[in-house]
Amino acid sequence: MKFLYSASPNLRGKLSTRRIMLELMIGLLVVYGFSLFYYFTEHGMAVALHSLILMATSLIVMAITEVGFAYFTKQDIIPFLSNSFGWITAIILTLMCPITITPFALGVATFCAILFGKLLFGGFGQNIFNPAALGRAIVLASFTGVVANVTEDVITGATITTKMANDFNWLVVDPNMIEKLMKAAGGLQNLFVGFYPGGIGETSALLLCCVGIFFIWRKVIDWRLPIIYLSTIFVLGSVIAWYSGMSDWLWYPLFHLFSGGVMFAAVFMLTDPVTSPTSAAGKCIFALGAAIITVLIRIKANLPEGVLYSILIMNMLTPMIERAFDGKQYQILKKAYIVFAVISALGIGSVVLAASQVEPAKEKVKEVIKITPQDEYVNSLEATIESEVDNGDGTKTFTVSAQGFAAKEGPNLPDYNHGFEPNVFEIKVDTATNKVVYLKATKIGDTEYLGDKLLNAKYTVQFEGLDLQSEFEVSVNDAITGATYSAKSSVRALLEVRKALGF
Amino acid sequence: MSLFKGRMRQYIPGHKELTAHKDVLEVLPGKKVFIPLYTAYSTTFELLVKEGEQVFVGTKLAVSKGKVVVPIYSSVSGTFVGEQKMMHHTLKPQTHLVIENDEKYEAIQVFQPLDYQNASREELLAFMMNAGIVGYGGAGFPTYIKYQNADKVEKLIINAVECEPYITSDFTLLPEKMDLFVTGILAMKKMAQALEVVIAVKNTYPKLIQLLETNVANIADVRVVGVPNVYPMGWERTLVYQITKKRYDRLPLEVGAIVNNVTTVIAFAHALVHGKPMVERVVTVSGDGIQNPSNVRVRIGTPVREVVEACGGYTSDEVKLIAGGPMMGKTIVKDEVVIDCVSNAITVLKPVVERPVACFRCGQCSDHCPAGLQPVRIVQASKAKDKKMMERLHALDCVECGLCTYVCPSRLDVTENVRIARRQLQIGKK
Ligand code: SF4
Ligand code: SF4
Repeated sequence: MKFLYSASPNLRGKLSTRRIMLELMIGLLVVYGFSLFYYFTEHGMAVALHSLILMATSLIVMAITEVGFAYFTKQDIIPFLSNSFGWITAIILTLMCPITITPFALGVATFCAILFGKLLFGGFGQNIFNPAALGRAIVLASFTGVVANVTEDVITGATITTKMANDFNWLVVDPNMIEKLMKAAGGLQNLFVGFYPGGIGETSALLLCCVGIFFIWRKVIDWRLPIIYLSTIFVLGSVIAWYSGMSDWLWYPLFHLFSGGVMFAAVFMLTDPVTSPTSAAGKCIFALGAAIITVLIRIKANLPEGVLYSILIMNMLTPMIERAFDGKQYQILKKAYIVFAVISALGIGSVVLAASQVEPAKEKVKEVIKITPQDEYVNSLEATIESEVDNGDGTKTFTVSAQGFAAKEGPNLPDYNHGFEPNVFEIKVDTATNKVVYLKATKIGDTEYLGDKLLNAKYTVQFEGLDLQSEFEVSVNDAITGATYSAKSSVRALLEVRKALGF
Repeated sequence: MSLFKGRMRQYIPGHKELTAHKDVLEVLPGKKVFIPLYTAYSTTFELLVKEGEQVFVGTKLAVSKGKVVVPIYSSVSGTFVGEQKMMHHTLKPQTHLVIENDEKYEAIQVFQPLDYQNASREELLAFMMNAGIVGYGGAGFPTYIKYQNADKVEKLIINAVECEPYITSDFTLLPEKMDLFVTGILAMKKMAQALEVVIAVKNTYPKLIQLLETNVANIADVRVVGVPNVYPMGWERTLVYQITKKRYDRLPLEVGAIVNNVTTVIAFAHALVHGKPMVERVVTVSGDGIQNPSNVRVRIGTPVREVVEACGGYTSDEVKLIAGGPMMGKTIVKDEVVIDCVSNAITVLKPVVERPVACFRCGQCSDHCPAGLQPVRIVQASKAKDKKMMERLHALDCVECGLCTYVCPSRLDVTENVRIARRQLQIGKK
């Protein structure tokens, strides 16, 4: 008979870290599966494959880094790997990155995340910063603008958060602009469901919500963190919306919640127990702080994403928060309430202050250029009637070539090796009424962008029914593209027809 | 679930069905019993018998010297043959009085019964002290001390919770000794001059609650309260908080409460009615390491081995033998250890191999610690040998309930590490 000794207690609960990590991984893979499905159905095989390569790269780099570290520090490789849970970091990091990232950039980020973010701190459980967040920050800092080839045509435009930051200052009041923003995002519903390009695993708020609820139920994550983080962002968003006088305000806090990495962070990043405080009160303050910083960075610093930096900043403050709530839980309760209330008040105050200094996005007023027959530039252009055909039904069709921008200014520009050809227009006129039936460009000598304008039905429609006997005016809507030059060329052509008709 | 603090408790599967509805097994000791000279606040005793002297069931063998008075009585009749240092269930060697059992169990009347209704409070106090009543729930704290300064007691709380897994000794004893139990609470109510008596029973025992309710239905100011089936609901602080919603610093009396365990109440009533000290008790022998888990009635001083044999022996060649429940009971490595008056259970478990991983600061331990401590932080401070920090974290207030180890998903021995921290602090204090 053998009696074994062990210190009491001699009973264990069911929860185990291994199981938690396994379920965490399953949750991550579900999110990844959704993203694969989206890229495959919307952008095709090549992009989905790219996504798979990214994931594989990250996992392989993680494994090599960990094995290498175990080897150099002379630890048993298999137990080291299985107790280090590096794959979680690798997967989270991949899911945080945009699909446009190159495998190389992701590999470097993974290496840094695992080695500097975790192993050098002493391994699993010892690190101060969330390793995945650290890796992501490295990508942001050193690989901006590097885009993987296959994904080039996938994402021509910027992601919705970049748009919100660059074009809308994270603050939109004008209903027209809101509509425009919603159009770009495909509507709040789409933002919620997640069928849009963004961080690989960050887009589907709906799915992340479900995974989060499952995690809370399974005790994989602490419920306090996501709930406080999300509700604080909602409240702060609402406060801004109210402060800046949005009439239909609900979309604004929801936009904050559903866009960018907020949901993903709430479920997978903030809840990383290693880098957040251990006490219940500490966790609440941690989530509150992260939410405030997220919103502040978004509206004030004009960065696309505040989420990442907010996490890193709060990671840094974690030891401080821990110390603040040392002691017996029920004795520090009052302190926790006070600190929470004070920080909430400060948060609301600073967010309002920040919002008051941000210009809400305004519609860019477009210049409308009017062109009259007296226009100097128009009259400086050359034009000749190439042919004149009597259609026999009381109409005549003129073919006129008129100097365009390329033909006039072209030779003066160095390296300007596009054509010097004039533009050719076909103009049909009703000879009884002297009204234009239509004007269209048949050959464009001007550069593509300028010339586009002339083919554009929206532009040429204004010539229809134009009375050549009287004064007229042509307007060009878009001054930026420089289409005015081409437009002037068309007016010049018309003047030539007018002259030919004897007015 | 509170936002800013953890739950400070946890549901633990009780496995009570193993023993709850079985008849109590009577186990008589073998040739020798070994009565430990041990009580919570004293290990020095004045011996009242001489070697070779004839003793009877109830003979006063010794009485403790020092602050508290606790007499020790013989549980069998026979011959006192001497003292012996033996391993005690506290894991320290203690002096035991060896008595050769003549197996006749002749009893003597050591003290006179007392009618609590006619007795004064002082008489009752003296009686309680003389009868050697201590907290039989496990603490072994002499009960009369609680009542010495008991004025303005609002609630006399009777702890029938039995929150440790496996243990059903109170659960079994209570229906059997219902009359004594009622007498006991009335006597104690008188001693405490308590405004009311609250009997706390787990919600999961509706039948027991009903039985108690019918028995106290006609008694004023006595009520039965169901409490949640969580650990450590039976711990004094947790129970007092559950019932009064107040927290105290050192003693429950600060918030007007006195807490007594069911076995203590019954033992006291037994002494009052029959004039006999406690010489035997009901012990739960349970766990997956025992052939026939049962509740047994055992004389104090019977070696655990004899009790285990009466329950069919072990199920495996390697077991963990625990004096008490699996959470707070200490693992004993010899089954010569004897049943003491505070032994409410013997738990025998098959060993389980754990594969621990590093602490990942999940905070589960802090969330659940019933004392409101932060074990993970205490362990960190202890590793850094930071005494100031350990003090700030109130490491000394740990009661070794074991919950932090129970909940730790990384399967670390958190409780043991907190113990190490406490030891570091205690050494510094001396
Ligand atoms: S053993 Fe101590 S530290 Fe651990 S939960 Fe119990 S009281 Fe708290
Ligand atoms: S429960 Fe275990 S893993 Fe979690 S913080 Fe406590 S000691 Fe660390």
